[in-house]
Amino acid sequence: MDVQTFETMGTVVSLRIGGAAGGTSGAAVGRAAADGGRAGVPVPEEALAAVRNVFTRWDERFSLYRPDSEISRIARGDIRLTQASADLRDCYAIALDWRDRTDGVFTPHRADGVLDLSGVVKSLAIAEAGEALLGLGLSEWSVNAGGDLLVSGDHSPGQDWVAGIVDPANREELLASVPLVAPVRAVATSGSAERGEHIWTSAGGGTSPYRQVSVIGLDIVTVDVLATTIVAGGEAALNRSIETFPIEVLAVLRDGSLVATAGLRSGPG
Amino acid sequence: MRARAVSLATLASLSVLAVGWQVGAQANASMQALSAPQAAPATIPAPSAGPATPTPTASAPAVSGPATVSAGSTAPAVAPAPAAPAPVAPAPAAPAPAARPTGTFTGSTVQTRFGPVQVSVTIANGTITEVTALQLTNDGGRSVAISAQAAPILRSEVLSAQSAKVSNVSGATYTSKGYTTSLQAALDTAGF
Repeated sequence: MDVQTFETMGTVVSLRIGGAAGGTSGAAVGRAAADGGRAGVPVPEEALAAVRNVFTRWDERFSLYRPDSEISRIARGDIRLTQASADLRDCYAIALDWRDRTDGVFTPHRADGVLDLSGVVKSLAIAEAGEALLGLGLSEWSVNAGGDLLVSGDHSPGQDWVAGIVDPANREELLASVPLVAPVRAVATSGSAERGEHIWTSAGGGTSPYRQVSVIGLDIVTVDVLATTIVAGGEAALNRSIETFPIEVLAVLRDGSLVATAGLRSGPG
Repeated sequence: MRARAVSLATLASLSVLAVGWQVGAQANASMQALSAPQAAPATIPAPSAGPATPTPTASAPAVSGPATVSAGSTAPAVAPAPAAPAPVAPAPAAPAPAARPTGTFTGSTVQTRFGPVQVSVTIANGTITEVTALQLTNDGGRSVAISAQAAPILRSEVLSAQSAKVSNVSGATYTSKGYTTSLQAALDTAGF
């Protein structure tokens, strides 16, 4: 299978096109033959460009590490939130909605008062990239942005996309491999394995009981927000999330032991 | 705590909660290891499904799980730990006679990682007809039913899709630099 990758948002996006080997899906037709003999469906140039554009746009507008981004200007007080673009205010509204839906555990308000939308920006970008691909007539693909994953269609005829969950103690190993059977389409993992303690554990302070939390569900924004929420909010947030949303969760505790919902258990025997 | 675990285990034959609870495999297994000899025999000769569809201890889901995880029964005090939600084998007040028991048995309060739990079990002629929660954990407003949904699990018990190729890896966000040494990069390069 052909894969295209590019850097954005401080990480790397991997884009795959699924479907029949040899290429029968949408815009991929005709390019397969030109693909140097590699099996699978090549990623159409316009698909890569569309996905890249989506991420670039979100990155430029919502990255606090870019001093010229709109959100950085808000953080500095250069512009007021009421003067912000509709896109930014929409994004803020989404983040606030998730704050309410997670009892305040997930929040766009950093402890120092700075508005930080990074908790939803990446997943919103992934979702929009998916829409862009569908708009190009592509129905079989996967978009993986730094370990958060959204898929559409099948990997290949009759074969679901399969997501591996990395072992935080040994990132060359997998803890689990999970077939993403529709309508389950998204996987997100939060934790401290790669970027250190980047999640604010606002609730009660202290360190999260979880070293890594993976959430599997229907849409990328929900699973991404909830993975963050569970790391930040601990066991109470885990229980509440499971009760409220149709998700599966695999959590790695500090000592390396695992907690999982029933759907992530291997079958009997 | 060990003594306590043993005493709990001996009463595990009425492991009503083990059912509704789908207790974590590990702890349950270790409890069973302790309880099997004494307990299983017979307080309930003919356990059939009552309203709560209790399952006899012997067929609880965890049977196969090796008792490798110590947390649950041997060191339950370790708070938010990995621990298994102590399979609450509620202690019935009266050990049943050899004949088919009848009556209502109230268990002692058991401390689980989810909080204190106590149940009573009504048995009619050897069959559990009712399980009543007298005291349930209320940590964060959650109840027993929810605790059951995310339970401790051994690595060997986690889902692994058979015969399917993993093409994407989900993990804590890798940086651009971290990507180069990631499993995802390997999969991308290989074109899986």
